[in-house]
Order: sequence, then structure tokens, then C-alpha cells
Amino acid sequence: MTNNILSLFQLCDSNFPTGAFSHSNGLETYIQDGRVHDVATFLQWLDVYLNEQLIYSDGLACHLVYKALVENDLDKIWSVDRLLHVQNLPRETREGTQRVGQRMLKLVDVLYDIPTLKAYAERIQTKQSYGHPAIVFAIVGRYLDIPTIPTTIYYLYSAISSLVQNAVRAIPLGQTAGQKVLADFQQSLIEATNKIQNLDEADFGIVSPGLELAQMKHEHVNIRIFMS
Amino acid sequence: MNEWTGLLRLTMEDRLGKTVPSNVYFQGAFKVMRPIYHDDSGQACYYILNPGGGYLDGDRYYMQIALEPDARLTLTTQSATKVYKTPKHHAYQENEIILKEGSYFEYLPDPLIVYRDGRYKQITKIRMNKKSTLIYSDIITSGWSPDGSQFSYDMIQLVTEVYVDDDLMVYDHIKLTPNNQQMNALGMMEGFTHIGSMIVVSEQADNEFIEKVYKKLNTNEKEVKIGVSSLPVSGFTLRILAMSSQKIEHALSECHNFISSEWYQTRPSFLRKY
Repeated sequence: MTNNILSLFQLCDSNFPTGAFSHSNGLETYIQDGRVHDVATFLQWLDVYLNEQLIYSDGLACHLVYKALVENDLDKIWSVDRLLHVQNLPRETREGTQRVGQRMLKLVDVLYDIPTLKAYAERIQTKQSYGHPAIVFAIVGRYLDIPTIPTTIYYLYSAISSLVQNAVRAIPLGQTAGQKVLADFQQSLIEATNKIQNLDEADFGIVSPGLELAQMKHEHVNIRIFMS
Repeated sequence: MNEWTGLLRLTMEDRLGKTVPSNVYFQGAFKVMRPIYHDDSGQACYYILNPGGGYLDGDRYYMQIALEPDARLTLTTQSATKVYKTPKHHAYQENEIILKEGSYFEYLPDPLIVYRDGRYKQITKIRMNKKSTLIYSDIITSGWSPDGSQFSYDMIQLVTEVYVDDDLMVYDHIKLTPNNQQMNALGMMEGFTHIGSMIVVSEQADNEFIEKVYKKLNTNEKEVKIGVSSLPVSGFTLRILAMSSQKIEHALSECHNFISSEWYQTRPSFLRKY
């Protein structure tokens, strides 16, 4: 069991080369226009991003895909993959997430031999599916026998910790301040994971207007260090 | 559950360059008058009327619009959609839109105003052929309350699905529950009161065109903020935050005018309401 948890931790490590470090998911738009400029304003953004967007997309997807894996319902997984892609209306976040998902899949495929993952890769290859990190992560979590709730919370942790690293570089914040944000944010991750347990498909893809607009506007931000 | 408060079924077809109704059926609190032809293009225009004057507790509306090949239709409302307080059940509307090859459909409704303690849910499913054109818009206001306070409604939920040749290609889900959300917070409405959206799907909406739309609409105005982004099919979404319906209507009509002039060398007709 310990080894399995370590194996999933490997995917959460910021050194796991999925390319997540080049995506800010619209945060850079707020940094550029000065609305996110310190720990307090970054925390406001992070809280809305987690609770008004991420739980309804990646978080809920992780939960639904895990359930589908338990029920051996592969079609459900492919339909979640499509929903994740088409609900992401800002082009950069949509294409960026897809790229991260595909890179994560390739890496994991080298590490483990998981039939569902191979089927997913095959569908992406033949353009029947798009690729998304939350789906890859749920497949690995299930394969490693990590229960659904920890799988979801580790996924959220990995997504949030990449964004904290990116904020440290871009705002910039001190390294210590970044670690403090991550430590303080634990309770939010626990609450978000609990909320996800009570969501269903009818809640999928709810977006927050301001965040989404900033993600669209990032396409035309003047100085960009991130791709989204 | 086939008890609808208002029901509208409309099928339009192209007859020698003129779009005419081949089937019109309405019942209850939905009504349309005869189609209006604003110019000699043959494009028909219908105004949806809500004789009841607004949506009440538990009201359920259903609208199905089908465009046969090459039909061209503008659909709008006679006035704003008002949803009054819904103590027991939310008001509900379901829209189904079917666009066959070569058809053109534009949906330009008046703003949605949900009153204090009101809940409104809308599900729209659009099934279109790849060679048809869709322009679909909506405007959500901050509602109405006797004391003038903003966001006093309980819930607004709009789900819009666009299927192109049977594949789901756009899924837009907005759900606002002001009692549980910090409406003015960063990432939420950010001090704005109104949301406008437009989904455009057309083979003509390539990336070069979308960039032109962005340049046309981009503004440094403080009272309005506009985002444009391309969809996973040929097309784009427009999302607008503003302080009034007028600002949103202005941006939407600017985009609509631009599409008309670039693709059809025409100007959209002014939709006279009173």
C-alpha cells in the first residue's frame, strides 16, 4: 500500500514533466493588470479557481471517471473526456490542458501497463478522444488501488501546487510564502473534495464568469510567460 | 411531465429563396404572430410573445425550432423574460433547435430578469449540420428587487449544448446562486452586473475571422469587458461582462453586424419591438 501511494505521489511531484508549469489558466491576466499582486490577492484567485471552476470540471471528472472504472463503464470515461474538452470555452486553457493530459499519459504509459490507459491512448491517436490529466490520474489511482477520495484530493493537490509554483515565479512571491500558501490551502482542498462527493453530472462544467473571461483575454496579454 | 405552461413548435422551410413556416404550433403561455420579412432577403423573423407577462412558480416552457435545408430565421422576443419569485419549484425552459444543411439561425432574445427569490433553469440543445450557421445569444441581468438591490434572485442556471453532425462540440454551463457566492469577488462578476454571451458556429468562422472579431470588439472602456475565443469546431464564443443590458446589446449587435457584413454583405435589420 505504501508503495502504491508513493507511486501516485510521483505524478503529483512538480518535477513530473507534464508541462503544467507553462500554464497559469488565466492567472497571468490578473497578474498583468495588477489585480493579483501579493499573497492575499493570489489566495482570493486560488479560492475562486478551486471552488467555482476546478471542482466542477477536473475534480468532478476525476470522481466520475473513478466510479466508471469501478463499474467498468469505459464509454462513460470517453464521454467525460469529451465533456471536459468542449466545456472549456477559452481556447488556451482547453488546448493547454489537452497537451498536459497527453504528456502525462505518455509518461505513465512508460511506467505502468494499464489496459484502460492504452485504450485511451489509442482513442486519442485516432482522434476519438482528446486527452485530459484528470482522467489519466483517475485511471492510475484506480490501478494503484488508491480509493476514490484520496485519488481526487491528490489530483487537486497536484493541480493547485503547480499553480502555486507558477504564482511564486510570476507575481513573484517568495519560496517560503509559496509553501505557506500550500500548507494553508490544505483545508480548502479537503472541503472541495467533500463537495465533489455530493455533485453529479448535472453540475458538470459550471464556470465562473470572471475567471473564464480572464482565460479568454490571456490570448492577448502583452507580456506572457505562460501559454494559458 | 408533458404539462407545459407554454409550448411552441416551429418548422421553417425555404421556398424559392423565401423562408416560410411549414408548421407552427403554440399553446398556453407561448405565442408567435405571423413572420415578418424585414427586407427582400427572404429571411423570416419571429417575435416570441409571453402573454402571461412572466414566468411564475413551477412554470415549464418548451420550444422546438427546426430549420429545413437553406431556411433562414431570426428569432427574438417581444420583451424581456421576467421570472417572478418561485417559492416551490424553479421556472424551467427547454429549447431544442435543429438546423439542417445550409440553414441560418440567429437567436437574439431580450434580457433575462429574475426577480427577488426567483429560480430559473434553462436547457438548450442545438443539433446542427456542419454546413449550417448558428448565432445564439443571451443576456443575464442582475435581476429585480423592490429595494433595488442587485443579485436578489436565488438561482439562474443556463445549460447550452451544441451538437455538430451528432457530436457534442460546445457545452456551456452558467449557474449563479448569489446566496452561496461572493458575486462581486475576483473571478466572479468582479463588480459587473450583467453577463452577455454569444455562440457562433459556422464554417466561415476560421481563426483569421475570429481575430478580426476580437479587434473589432476590443475596447478599453471601464464599463464593459469582452472575451473572444475559438471553439473546438469552426466558430467562437463571446463573453461579455458589463454594467447594463445596453452595453451588452451594443457589443452583441456590433459582432452581429460584423458577421453580416463580412459573410453576407448585408446589415441586420433593426428589431422593432414597440
